[in-house]
Amino acid sequence: MTPDTSAAVETRSAAWLGVALGITFTLCFATGLWSHVLQHPPAWFTPPPRPAGLYRLTQGLHVTAGTASIPLLLAKLWTVRRRLTVWPPVRSTLHAVERLALLPLVGGGVFLLLSGTANVARWYPWHFYFPAAHYAAAWIAIGGLVVHAGAKAGTTLAVVRARPADSTPDATRGDRRAFLAGVAAASGVLVVATAGGTVPALSPVSVLAQRRPGQGPHGLPINKTAAAANVVDAALDPAYRLVVTGPGGERALSLAELRALPQHHATLPIACVEGWSATARWRGVRVRDLLALVDAADAPAVTVESLQRAGRYRSSELRGAQIRDADTLLALELDDAPLDLDHGYPVRLIAPGRPGVLQTKWVARVVVP
Amino acid sequence: VSEPVDDTTTSRRGLLAGLVLGVPVILFGIRSAILDAHDTHPAELSRWLIGSAAVHDLVLLPVVGLVAWTLRRAIPAASWPAVRAGALVAGTLALVSWPYVRGYGASTGNPSLLPRDYTLGTLLAIAVTLIVTAVAATAAVVRARRRSRA
Repeated sequence: MTPDTSAAVETRSAAWLGVALGITFTLCFATGLWSHVLQHPPAWFTPPPRPAGLYRLTQGLHVTAGTASIPLLLAKLWTVRRRLTVWPPVRSTLHAVERLALLPLVGGGVFLLLSGTANVARWYPWHFYFPAAHYAAAWIAIGGLVVHAGAKAGTTLAVVRARPADSTPDATRGDRRAFLAGVAAASGVLVVATAGGTVPALSPVSVLAQRRPGQGPHGLPINKTAAAANVVDAALDPAYRLVVTGPGGERALSLAELRALPQHHATLPIACVEGWSATARWRGVRVRDLLALVDAADAPAVTVESLQRAGRYRSSELRGAQIRDADTLLALELDDAPLDLDHGYPVRLIAPGRPGVLQTKWVARVVVP
Repeated sequence: VSEPVDDTTTSRRGLLAGLVLGVPVILFGIRSAILDAHDTHPAELSRWLIGSAAVHDLVLLPVVGLVAWTLRRAIPAASWPAVRAGALVAGTLALVSWPYVRGYGASTGNPSLLPRDYTLGTLLAIAVTLIVTAVAATAAVVRARRRSRA
């Protein structure tokens, strides 16, 4: 047992905060990686459509765990602040390497929380593309975390397993507990203040939620409007046709023809990468039924293209089980009314287990490559 | 105060194992930033990564230190744990609320995005925090006085 100097007291706080951060950062990394592979699936990977609410859960956790990490990280860095100015700054090569490895951890950690928070607030005080920069920084930070966790694993385990030394004055012990309780309170308050966009019960007190449940056309929030996507005229054009292309040729279907096909209901969430989500009842044509019209019922992959001329999310891909899932629809209705223009009128993709940005709106073409 | 704390908390073997496992992960992140340079702007991203650590260490830390030092001397010792917790909650709320209150992401065409009055909400949340803190701090001081009398 280390003697109960102020350094040892600090070590105990730092160890417990380190454990908490290890959990939240690992959770953020795993859920972030999941979001990344859903949006950029490697050739060998077929994103599973089930469970339908999985992405809602993982991305809600991603944003929540990141938000909870803010007080944890600030408190952790506070408890170890004296080590920033240790003298001599470097005692050995290994000590230099250990200190150097703190840069990716601290710089990366602070940047990830800052950029994630800014992204949810739609604040972009930089020129890089947020998801790409956040993704690269996540590997850099988590690598720094692995190095640091290795260096401190022994001490942390000893602290977590041991009780404070009997010689620790009650006041010191109580002070440390009060400090950690304050940090936990700050994390809890931030989570409650931001989670209302995905947990409707919290909405009244979620003073920093990006969304309010029930707000938006059909009571469902909007990410990108038709005006912002520059598709209003094309979407409202009476000459609109949905073009389906496959090995059996090409079919151009009017809205009336689409409505004449068998219609199916699906109750599915829209789950945004920014953490909010909301469930709705959709109605439309199954993608697999449409593909059967062009002899492509067994297609391994299809591309769903929007009327949008530009933009990173103007098209998305469905693979394997995603295509054949009974709930993968080209929806014409939302809650038994025609889709609102901002929700993708005349036709939008809605499928289980996908990030919202891949639920392509204002669909123009379904193409089997 | 500069105690040789690292000597007592760093395991040499653990650090070496961490380096073997962690450095390739860091390099993978750097590789990803370079391969995707068109989107990641590696030079700007590096400035943000280093800048994040620097702004924390050179700006936020001294400011928090000064606030903590001042507060601690201005209030009765018994109320410190409650005041510190209250300052943590209010401070992190204020930090996170910044882009919302400033309205950087406001969109005129999409009323469902950022639909709340974030300034009012933040002020209310901080006000509630301060009230709870004041009650807890007062209770702590009263308890401490009773104990010292007894």
